[in-house]
Amino acid sequence: MSLLAAIRKVWHSIAPRTSSDVEEEFRSTLDAYQEDLMRQGLPEEEARRKARINLGRPAAQNETYRRAIGLRLFDELGGDIRYGLRGLRRSPGFAAVAVLSLALGIGATTAMFSLIYAVLLHPFPYADADRIVNLFGLTESAAGTSFTWAAFSKAELDDLGRASPVEAMLGFNPAQVEITGALPEEIAGTYLTENAGTFFGVRPLLGRNIEPSDAENGGHFVVVLNYRFWQRHFGGDPHVIGQTLELNHAPYTIIGVMPRSFAFNDMTDVADVYLPATLMQHLPEVRVPQYLPWIKLRPHVTPAAAKAVLEPMVLEIEKRDLGKVPEGIHLGLQPIIWVFQENTGTTLKLLLAGVVLLLIIGCANCSILLLARGRTRQHELAIRKAIGASRWRIVRQLLVEAIVISCTGAVLGVAASYWLAKLPLVLSPESFPAESFIRINASILAFSVGLALVSGILFGLVPALRLSRRDSAQMLPGRQSGVVAAPGKRRWSVLIAAQVALTLLLMATAGTAIRSFLGLMRTPLGYDPTNVMRLGIIRHGSDHDERGRILSREARVAYFEQIRDKIASLPGVSAVAVGVRATPPYTQALDDKSFEFDGTGNREQTRARVILVDQRYFAALRIPVLQGRVWNANENTGGDFIAVVNHVFVARYLSSSDATGRQLRIPGLTPQNPYQVASAQSTAWREIIGVVGDARNDGLERPVAPAIYVPYTTVIMPYAQFLVRTQNDPPTYLQSIRAAVASAASGQTLSNSGFNGTLTLNEAIERDAQYRSQRLFSILFGVFSAMALALALVGIFSLVAYSVAQRTTEFGVRLALGAPRKHVLWVAARIALVSAAVGIVIGLAVDSFLGAVLARWMQNGFAASGLFAAAALLALSALLACLLPARHAITVAPAEALRNE
Amino acid sequence: MTKSVELPQGTLEMLILKAVSLGPLHGYGILLRIQQISGERLEILQGSFYSAIYRLERRGWIKGAWGESENHRRARFYSLTAAGTRQLKAETAKWTDMAAVVAGILDKKAGEI
Repeated sequence: MSLLAAIRKVWHSIAPRTSSDVEEEFRSTLDAYQEDLMRQGLPEEEARRKARINLGRPAAQNETYRRAIGLRLFDELGGDIRYGLRGLRRSPGFAAVAVLSLALGIGATTAMFSLIYAVLLHPFPYADADRIVNLFGLTESAAGTSFTWAAFSKAELDDLGRASPVEAMLGFNPAQVEITGALPEEIAGTYLTENAGTFFGVRPLLGRNIEPSDAENGGHFVVVLNYRFWQRHFGGDPHVIGQTLELNHAPYTIIGVMPRSFAFNDMTDVADVYLPATLMQHLPEVRVPQYLPWIKLRPHVTPAAAKAVLEPMVLEIEKRDLGKVPEGIHLGLQPIIWVFQENTGTTLKLLLAGVVLLLIIGCANCSILLLARGRTRQHELAIRKAIGASRWRIVRQLLVEAIVISCTGAVLGVAASYWLAKLPLVLSPESFPAESFIRINASILAFSVGLALVSGILFGLVPALRLSRRDSAQMLPGRQSGVVAAPGKRRWSVLIAAQVALTLLLMATAGTAIRSFLGLMRTPLGYDPTNVMRLGIIRHGSDHDERGRILSREARVAYFEQIRDKIASLPGVSAVAVGVRATPPYTQALDDKSFEFDGTGNREQTRARVILVDQRYFAALRIPVLQGRVWNANENTGGDFIAVVNHVFVARYLSSSDATGRQLRIPGLTPQNPYQVASAQSTAWREIIGVVGDARNDGLERPVAPAIYVPYTTVIMPYAQFLVRTQNDPPTYLQSIRAAVASAASGQTLSNSGFNGTLTLNEAIERDAQYRSQRLFSILFGVFSAMALALALVGIFSLVAYSVAQRTTEFGVRLALGAPRKHVLWVAARIALVSAAVGIVIGLAVDSFLGAVLARWMQNGFAASGLFAAAALLALSALLACLLPARHAITVAPAEALRNE
Repeated sequence: MTKSVELPQGTLEMLILKAVSLGPLHGYGILLRIQQISGERLEILQGSFYSAIYRLERRGWIKGAWGESENHRRARFYSLTAAGTRQLKAETAKWTDMAAVVAGILDKKAGEI
């Protein structure tokens, strides 16, 4: 309503008087004049006539009014727009092709822009998100830079929070939480320091966020729900505030639900529930709660300046905690957006370049169509010129018509972009911040409207200038100009050639992306992922009875093995292995450790990935044993004195002949926190008893890292994963596996979310960052190049079809005079064919020039063979697009053509 | 009709302002008054007359309001606004100055130059 009122107000200030008002006033003047004339003795009819002759018609008065107050341009533009729309209605084929060409381009560009907006410009809902930084430790060593999260106690956080560059300091601790009571379920929780509400500055959807008062009296048992968890677990119940949720055997009051956009935190794991940090002191296994920090810097403080102040403080804390400062450690401060900008930014820029190319091709298409259609409009334009239209007036009219087309295309395109923008998110959900969801907003709309205007002018200007230049005298009698070679073909050729060259560029890029994706898919994995799934298991020990039972190393081993045996005994389960974060293609339970060989011990130079598994791991994943043997069940329980290495390890550090039997020692194989328990001799000498094949352990694309496999019982964690090989699709066994686990240990949950989630090894491959980004590239560029190809072909096709239709007479005459059909076909298709060929040649040249640049962007080789395949495909389809419409030229019956004349 | 005088560009507006300054008038009334004051010597081009009125109203120099005419018809009466009064004053001064200068030049005899 208010919008309508606003429009009315604006309209009123432009044209304050309505047409009926103007007309009524004029009528009253007319009447008064007429009466005057009658008083002077004229008869009524005569007076009426004279009044109208002298003053004018009332119906035309509104026009006088609007012209007087300066609305003429406005009215004329309105007329042009109406005329443009009517023209589109008159030639629906032309309109459909032109509008769809642009809708594709504008839709794809808008979609990509809204993605960029969501990911790079405005991904987080937090207040002052651009000032929030992560803090971590960077250790420089010969082996490269390694990266550790820094965790602090509450007192240390408070100290750091008082530093001058810091405005606010949030501490958080992600922890698995169990819903206890009727249906036990494991969920992801995050403890937040009680300043969370003000730090985030995000208004909860329901209730309130965690507040400082929640820390009183040892912490209130309150919980704030994540939106998705609220939807999943409570079905989006709006009356959930005040209800009780039993977590870790204690009742928690639900105080708030966060909005959908709030999905803290992407770096570790999006939590289902948020809890006050003070409650962590009630956790039995935690002595001093440690928190990861998020730091909100004061305005205008750069991360570098903040680092200068914070680094000495953090190193001081480290020194106090560890007794010494680790060698070569630096402080890293990084805006929270950085990860996404770094990983996804380049991809998005490349994709944006792709859609802009698509848009340009769409624009070229429209230009070609307008030029082609312009020939049929020469007569109309000549008449307009002959009766006094200025060149500017004609250019304006043609431009307005072009903008009518582009705006229609933009409307369709923006509607389509709503779905198009979701495509990359669906294809590669984890490349984007969980918080960012795509919405069409004011800046995106402004972007697409701007895009529509720019592209309208872009593709409309050339034809407009071209068509308006014609000399009317030359044109007016020109309806029979079919026999004369039509002027203006040079521009078509340029447009076609450019279009074809750009299409080839997109096709070659798509070819490269698809080829490297196929290459990635064919990478030998070194293990067999089919029909293997991972199940996570974790012991909390929140219950005191249980705690005593599971804290010892032997008890944990027995517990895991007992559950493993139960699962292994199920029908259809062919193998079950235990591992700690040993799920390929990325396996890492511990940071890479340095180790030393018997006698030769330069520890800095020899680092390897230490993988914690059981002896069944190799058979379950079908990793071949190349030399020696793997350990047996007894050795597995003991955990000490033995190790298995992979082939790369041998190749890097040993000569293969003497691999087995060598001794190595891993000094760092010790518990890292109170949750972990080590075997008695975990850091003692170990004999290499076997060498296994290389299985991917550092992602799909990076080479296999040298690895030492040791029994998982060496440093046992409170959690582990089972790798279950089944005879059929693994998830179908979940139900019976859960039942088996429940019969072995009641109340034990198998986690089905987060880093411990149930997932098949094939899914694990699909979640690999490299796999995802290459698949994204392949699919999107495949789609882009298919669209581009379609657009270019439509452009060529309609150009040839138009010109054949125009030159019917000419072809009739040629055929009548005995021209061979081949020759006529050649004449009809010549220009388009030659321009397409030129385009392909240019495209090839540009591509080989850009090859190096593209290869760097896409992080893989740019294949010449793919380029030639693309060029061949393009050439073939261009030939078809030329010949199909050109065929009509030779089907012209000479008599009929001449009759038309 | 007596010998008519053609109006120089832009003077019609000034005449309308002058006519309206003497009291609110409807469109036809303005036309009559200009002819009456000028002693029937000005023939106003009808088309440009209303255009001039619309322009003046648009600029806010005159203001229109519906009322009843002397023969009990609905008519739109125009009156001078404050801005219109100022404009008329300025235009009048400019016109008199210019007329004086031009007349002065034209009055010069050969010997005086």
